[in-house]
Amino acid sequence: MTLWLMAGLLFTPLAWAVLTLLAGFRWGRAITWLGIAIQVLVSLALWAVVVRDGGFQYPLGGWQAPLGIELRVDGLAVTFVLLTALVAAASGLHAGFYLDPDKQWHRYFWPLFWFLWAGLNVVWLGNDLFNLYVGLELISLSAVGLVALGGQSEALRAALRYLMAALLGSLAYLLGVALFYGEFGSLSLSGIAFALRQDSARDGAGFALVLMLFGLALKTALFPMHRWLPPAHGIARSPVSALLSALVVKGSFYIAARLWLELGAPLGSLALAQLLGLLGGMAVFWGGWQALRQPKLKQVVAYSSVAQIGYLFLLFPLTWNTTEAAALQAQQAMTLQVTSHALAKAAMFLSAGNLIMSVGSNRVNALAGVSHFLPFSLFSFGLAGVSLMGLPPTGGFAAKWLFLQASLATGQWWWLVVLLGGGLLSAAYVFRVYRASFVEDSNIDHFFHPARRLEIIPMILALLSLGLGLMAEPVLSVMALTFANGEGT
Amino acid sequence: MKRDLALLPATAICLAFVSGLAYSIWQIAITIKPVDLPGLLGKNLDQSGVENPVTAVLLNFRSYDTLLEIGVLVIAGIAGISVARTSSLEDPELRTSDTLLYALQRWLIPLMLLLAGYLLWAGSDRPGGAFQAGAVLAASGVLMRLGGIPMDFLRPGIMLRLGLSLGFAVFLLVAVTSALHGGEFLAYPPELAKTLIVVIETVLTLSIAMVLLALFVSAPVNNAEEPEEGGSG
Repeated sequence: MTLWLMAGLLFTPLAWAVLTLLAGFRWGRAITWLGIAIQVLVSLALWAVVVRDGGFQYPLGGWQAPLGIELRVDGLAVTFVLLTALVAAASGLHAGFYLDPDKQWHRYFWPLFWFLWAGLNVVWLGNDLFNLYVGLELISLSAVGLVALGGQSEALRAALRYLMAALLGSLAYLLGVALFYGEFGSLSLSGIAFALRQDSARDGAGFALVLMLFGLALKTALFPMHRWLPPAHGIARSPVSALLSALVVKGSFYIAARLWLELGAPLGSLALAQLLGLLGGMAVFWGGWQALRQPKLKQVVAYSSVAQIGYLFLLFPLTWNTTEAAALQAQQAMTLQVTSHALAKAAMFLSAGNLIMSVGSNRVNALAGVSHFLPFSLFSFGLAGVSLMGLPPTGGFAAKWLFLQASLATGQWWWLVVLLGGGLLSAAYVFRVYRASFVEDSNIDHFFHPARRLEIIPMILALLSLGLGLMAEPVLSVMALTFANGEGT
Repeated sequence: MKRDLALLPATAICLAFVSGLAYSIWQIAITIKPVDLPGLLGKNLDQSGVENPVTAVLLNFRSYDTLLEIGVLVIAGIAGISVARTSSLEDPELRTSDTLLYALQRWLIPLMLLLAGYLLWAGSDRPGGAFQAGAVLAASGVLMRLGGIPMDFLRPGIMLRLGLSLGFAVFLLVAVTSALHGGEFLAYPPELAKTLIVVIETVLTLSIAMVLLALFVSAPVNNAEEPEEGGSG
């Protein structure tokens, strides 16, 4: 049973990438629907298995680590697998109606979409440093391809800039992997953590950790290395932007978090932890401030991602050398922030796409009067915004509340400034979009009305993000599940 | 003076990077590794189906990584052909009429094809294999393209897409089929390991060559087609 689930999870996206590459856009869409159904079912079933029996290690090809590659299927991994299934399914369904089937380059959306999904699953389940690198490459290259898809020179420029940033990040990460391999003779993350527990005098690997965290932070667009993100996420088609903001940047962050939680205690330092937290805090303010000033709607949403990513990096100072309870709270906060931001941001980009489609312009000021014509999409946008602001009962609120408690418990009160100020800034940029949409402008009377199904998808995502705060308890209890036999946590 | 100051942070970063790297390598040189992976590899080599340890790692012990790496190559191919129009295949400007090149081609191309075949075959017991053979094959394709030999399969049609995905698809099929026999994923049945590895290497060679060649051919990007969402307003 588990064997089939793992196969479905790992190989369906790859097989579907090949199938959709051979088909045209419309056939690709039909094939994709089937694939989405399989992936969602498999992810749910695997989640249920882990909830029932606890996590497990999965050796590929029957070769145990360190000779072969072992996957790590635990509560956190399946939570993110399920989140990916939800968000990718929503974006895929939306894209099927949003993209123009008669433009022949749109056929390449499907294979790239499936490769992206495959790469995400590789990263969530990875426990081998090199395997994680390959997963990162799958994600980055398909994301770059999706940004560039049939675009004009602006899109190509953004994609190329994205590619350069992603490559530099990958290379830094890869150099770190090579140094770790040299030091420990193994690529298995749990193997390295085990070796470090036996003999913690190996401080030469500290530089490797710094390199890898730098590479991953660049790929996650941490301030001040964020400048590639807004052009790329802003110019991509809206379903693509949703995938990029909701999932792609989380992939590299997730690896950084796993590295830190496994190796941070012996190899990290107070300065490194505080520096990462500080950059995260600056990202919250800078991203929020820039979002407030952007003339284009999707740039507002993209800069809001820069800000929301900043919160995630509070994980580093709050888990370094702190009490177990506070560290656990910080991890829970990080999980909730990843989940709620993924849902809310996907909802926001998809509804922004609908709004742009409706008024025929990508500028915030052009939204005047749209509240009459597209209240449903505007409402989804606002609901997602409520979660980003961190108002109860949303998932964003639960995440920030936990971050706040962890900050107080560890005596690092300065993060409170970030948590409160960031919420106010996000309120400001969400209300700015609302204000523009409620302006009465009788000169415009040619609104295009997108299909109802395009409006329902972001609404569902926004509602999920809203309800996450109420559901936080069960989500967090699954996240904390580790291996059934109690080892290797 | 101002320019020198601007160089200062960059120099500091480079110095920090180099000294960090040097310190790490020094540490690596003086400590003993807790895991002896090459030794472990040597012990298991006879179960892998090939004699060359590199090929054994790539196609057996860590075949999952290799499968995904081929996926990365296919993505690069897709991204390349999705942004470019290949009408330039007939572009007379790109077609050379260099007699020297033409004469050399008649000698070089058969040799290069032979070399690609040899590299592929050699991969089972000494350095070589699909990646090297694919690169040589692609290079001979580039020469043919420069010499103006028409290669219609490089147009963005079903042939191109089939060629791009062939190696990956076969690899994936083997992985899934081996699982249907009750084994772990990507576990080859021991008696078939050698045959399967040779088959996979062969189709991979073709696909790798195809990806590289497609990237070369579709490299010139014309004025693209799609405006930004809502860009007109």
